[in-house]
Amino acid sequence: MSRDLLVLIGRRLANLAVLLLGVTTLLFFLLRVTGDPAAVIAGSDADAAQLEAVRAQYGLDRPLIVQFLAYLASVLRLDFGMSLSAGEPALGLVLERLPATLELAGVAMLLTIAVAVPVGAWMGYAPTKPGRRIAAGIVFVLQGVPGYVVALIAIQIVAVEFRLLPSVGYGGPETFILPAVALASFLAPKLVRVIAANVTEAMAEDYIRTARSQGADGMELLWRHAVPNALLGATALVGTMFAALVSGAVVTEAIFAWPGIGWLLVTSTQTLDFPVVQALTFTVAVLVFTVNTVTDLAFALIDPRLRRQRA
Amino acid sequence: MTDAIQQPKMDARTRRRLTGMGLFARFATVELWLGLGLAAILILLALFGDALMTAAPGEGNLRARLKPPAFEAGGTTFWLGTDQLGRDQWSRLLAGLPWSLGVALLSTAIAAAIGTALGLLAAEAPGWTRTVINQVVDTVLSFPGLVIAICIVALAGRGFWPLTLTLGLLSWPVFTRVAYAEALSVMKREYVMAAQLLGAGRMAILAGHVLPALLPTLAVVFAFHFADMLIAESALSFLGIGAPLGTPSWGAMLSDSRQYLTTAPWMMLVPAGAIVLAVVTANLIGDGLVHLTRRRGRERG
Repeated sequence: MSRDLLVLIGRRLANLAVLLLGVTTLLFFLLRVTGDPAAVIAGSDADAAQLEAVRAQYGLDRPLIVQFLAYLASVLRLDFGMSLSAGEPALGLVLERLPATLELAGVAMLLTIAVAVPVGAWMGYAPTKPGRRIAAGIVFVLQGVPGYVVALIAIQIVAVEFRLLPSVGYGGPETFILPAVALASFLAPKLVRVIAANVTEAMAEDYIRTARSQGADGMELLWRHAVPNALLGATALVGTMFAALVSGAVVTEAIFAWPGIGWLLVTSTQTLDFPVVQALTFTVAVLVFTVNTVTDLAFALIDPRLRRQRA
Repeated sequence: MTDAIQQPKMDARTRRRLTGMGLFARFATVELWLGLGLAAILILLALFGDALMTAAPGEGNLRARLKPPAFEAGGTTFWLGTDQLGRDQWSRLLAGLPWSLGVALLSTAIAAAIGTALGLLAAEAPGWTRTVINQVVDTVLSFPGLVIAICIVALAGRGFWPLTLTLGLLSWPVFTRVAYAEALSVMKREYVMAAQLLGAGRMAILAGHVLPALLPTLAVVFAFHFADMLIAESALSFLGIGAPLGTPSWGAMLSDSRQYLTTAPWMMLVPAGAIVLAVVTANLIGDGLVHLTRRRGRERG
């Protein structure tokens, strides 16, 4: 492994440390500023003596900075405390829900790529033809349609009107279709536009123009040269796209009652189940770090240009 | 001070063509005109919508529950139909407009102000300041903003300012990244170097020479970011976290519609259409501005 790659991993690790410290600190102090955690733990009907007992039990009577340091120490041991509503370890609860989210995100990602790459390539190959201009207009409007609106329309038509698919729930392959389409619609229009623009640019490169003028097959040039180049150009989007995927998953899961971490986030913030919220944001941060580092490394191995440029 | 530099000679017509409104009229595309037209209508409706309301937006009429829009068969006098409490959807749409536009506009403005300032600072100050700012920008951009926004708004409470501040304070890195990259290239231009040689202060150069050159690009980012904030706001209100209960926000209207997808699909389609229209308007302006700046660049090139 070269030095460049080590630098890249080091920078990502620094990012992760900043992120974890930032998110943990922010949520810790926000909870203390906006309310009394003892009141949340003890319940709304607790009297003063019970509140005192809770404070003593959870160490909430110590100075704030001591509480914070103690909290950081326990977070470093991956101990986020017990869920206030479920009575189980918070992190365990989150990890239990993680697979459902990852499965949904994976299917949605595959769907996005399967749709966006051919459509983007088709549109970018000859962007001025009338049919493709109309397609570009449609993609443009679709970009303005929030994913949860797509989800509601899909439920309305497919599940309610024609009763083809279940409208909510998590189970067999058929339950994946609607949530995955909804989640993919958060990402696909943007990716189509980026790939189309990159393909158009690549097709205008000198070497491709020369090859075309000498009678090389346009389709072969498109798929062998322009599309791979366009995809490598789109890798800069991976980080923000993954962020959009997770954000989209939160809303999608809430609509489809999907038992993943997104739905868990919505329900646990509503009940102010703070240990779960902390464990959840921590997990998301680690997830973001893993995905970005792995894709960075993968592309650095594929394309030496990127390796030099990023390190 | 910069008067000392000899200005290239330019007749009045050329100057008009290359600056301000003349340039705008020449290169604005259909997209931009359409976007600006729609934006003007939306702003007028937000300001004077009260006059166009056909009923009190918060008042239900239980005898007029779930009435279809006027253009549907069996339609009523409610031209966009009524919701599950018999509230007039057109009036609720109008009442929700200032809320949606206000949150999106102010949060975008906050993000733009902080983000641009930090971007200029990073471009101006090499060394650890730059490293720290860029690291923070990378980190925040890679994190799913909605996750943290949900946590903050849930703790800080619903309402206009908690929501606006949260969205603005979480999303400024978008502007920083663009402002930083652009400022670095602008600072290499001759007129900036000339100002430096003439002894202009660092702040004066940033504010007087670098920032104005960034404005076209920042306007593009502003338009697209505004669209993102509209979507974020409606998503949070849809989840029941953004707008306070009872506020007629579009996201909350969509959330109400979920129970009535079979019986009253217009309850979903009306607010959904409004959100899409507002977002597409902002995207049209953004795309139009991209073309405007690109063509101007070619003309000057």
